[in-house]
Amino acid sequence: MSKILKGRALSRGIVEGEAIVTKQPFSISAAFAYPLVSNAKKMKVADRTHELFKKIVKDKILIFPIPIGTTTLGFVLLETIVRKVGPKAIVCMEGEPLMSSGAVAADIFFDIKFPIVDQIDFSELEKIEDGTMVRVNGDEGTVEIL
Amino acid sequence: MYLTKEEESILNGNQGEMLSKLMKFIVEIGDSFGAEKLIEIVSAHTVLNISLSFCSAAAEVLHRIAEAGLKVKVRTTADPVLDMDYAKELESVYSLFSMHDQVMEDLAKIGVYGFTCTPYYIDNKPKFGEHCAWSESSAVIYLNSVLGGRSNREGGILDVACGILGKTPYHGLHITENRKGQILYKIHNDIDTRDVFNLTSIGLIIGETAGHKIPVIDGLSQISTDQLKNLGSASASTGAVALIHIPGVTPEANTLQEALQNGKPEEIIEIEMKDLIEVGEKYSTEWTQPPKNICIGCPQLSKEEVINLIKRLEGKKINENLTFWICTIEDVKNFILNSDYRKILDASGAKISTICPTYIPPAKPTMTNSAKSCFYSPSTYRNLDECIRIATEGWKNE
Repeated sequence: MSKILKGRALSRGIVEGEAIVTKQPFSISAAFAYPLVSNAKKMKVADRTHELFKKIVKDKILIFPIPIGTTTLGFVLLETIVRKVGPKAIVCMEGEPLMSSGAVAADIFFDIKFPIVDQIDFSELEKIEDGTMVRVNGDEGTVEIL
Repeated sequence: MYLTKEEESILNGNQGEMLSKLMKFIVEIGDSFGAEKLIEIVSAHTVLNISLSFCSAAAEVLHRIAEAGLKVKVRTTADPVLDMDYAKELESVYSLFSMHDQVMEDLAKIGVYGFTCTPYYIDNKPKFGEHCAWSESSAVIYLNSVLGGRSNREGGILDVACGILGKTPYHGLHITENRKGQILYKIHNDIDTRDVFNLTSIGLIIGETAGHKIPVIDGLSQISTDQLKNLGSASASTGAVALIHIPGVTPEANTLQEALQNGKPEEIIEIEMKDLIEVGEKYSTEWTQPPKNICIGCPQLSKEEVINLIKRLEGKKINENLTFWICTIEDVKNFILNSDYRKILDASGAKISTICPTYIPPAKPTMTNSAKSCFYSPSTYRNLDECIRIATEGWKNE
């Protein structure tokens, strides 16, 4: 039986994919800006201070506690969504508009859905193992562990 | 959320499709964060002008906004752009800025002008309690902490949407109760708090440990606003910090009790000198070759910071095999170039520019005194004296 975690929906859409989980706060700008500049087809995390450094996150469900870093992160996320080179969805403990603005912009201006769900206790999220299939529902604000 | 009749009308498309989309954008984000309404803002600051190739989708949205003939309703500034006075030096990075001309044209069309990461040094300086929609993490933290203005960390596109609508969702740091200090930092007396390098390292630790919470720093009652800018920019890089209270210094913290809104801190963290050394080593990239670029001014320097730096360069000469960049706002650059300081500057060989240090061509290695720069690009982290010494006396098996 699948387990459903209830959180808050920050951007719309429903997707399924393999989870990649980190306990470290995540800087989307530090992770993705350089691969985007170099036109990488598969997004590898470029933040050398992060435990996910060099890990491939394309088409994954990226799970971390909180987003951090500079205010370019909204459109860095937007770019990864529009170019379809990054993760498929984000789940975190506490999001911020800075991040979700990139996903909402993808929906409104490019008609691409990228769900973000937050306000799920990290003690629940860290139990999810890398590679586990999860369904992120950004319409209802739920994360289903399949 | 509650919308006025006019807001409803915009949302329903009565003032055009693009304005409706922008309204939908800010309403959806406001709704998801539980905003009860939209509030009027006095100013905006956007980061949407970064015309690097990783921003093409954002630039396309900007272009559509400009094509629709929309204009900002409030004073809106933007982050730094290329400095064409250094066209020759910047030639190698032009290809990365393929959208520069289009973005600048679109920004001009919608009424955005003034390009700096420190808009509070020009005429975009909101007053205490005024609501704003700002991006640029180092500027947002300065606005909230030093000026007592109120902004969430908005992000590119959202900032422009708010500027055009003259409104932002009422949530987060717009609400007094959400500005309460949460983590109390105590600075051990083995740290020399007059040294700005120690302050920026404190900023790195605060960002790492506070995350998205609001820090209160006890023991920095002598900190200047420029120093707080440098500390805050570090915290906004290693963390999502958007407001710092310093009792006796920042406007919402006349006392420690006021900073905590008469509550108790959730956590108390003490920072010692050994922590600063550790964090400095963590974020510094130790190149084995001497630096090719030394960059001072992330965030861009105030007039006082530039003058102080140029005075320290008096009688010194920058080594020929490296470039020493001083990054500041246009007014300060022009002031220096038309003053007696120019003689010192020219004699030293240092370059004064309005550019963002991260745009400087990647002739590596790079060295800087900026904690923020070290977080975002591999640079050696040294204090200003060391940067000047290495620039002028050379690299001696550092």
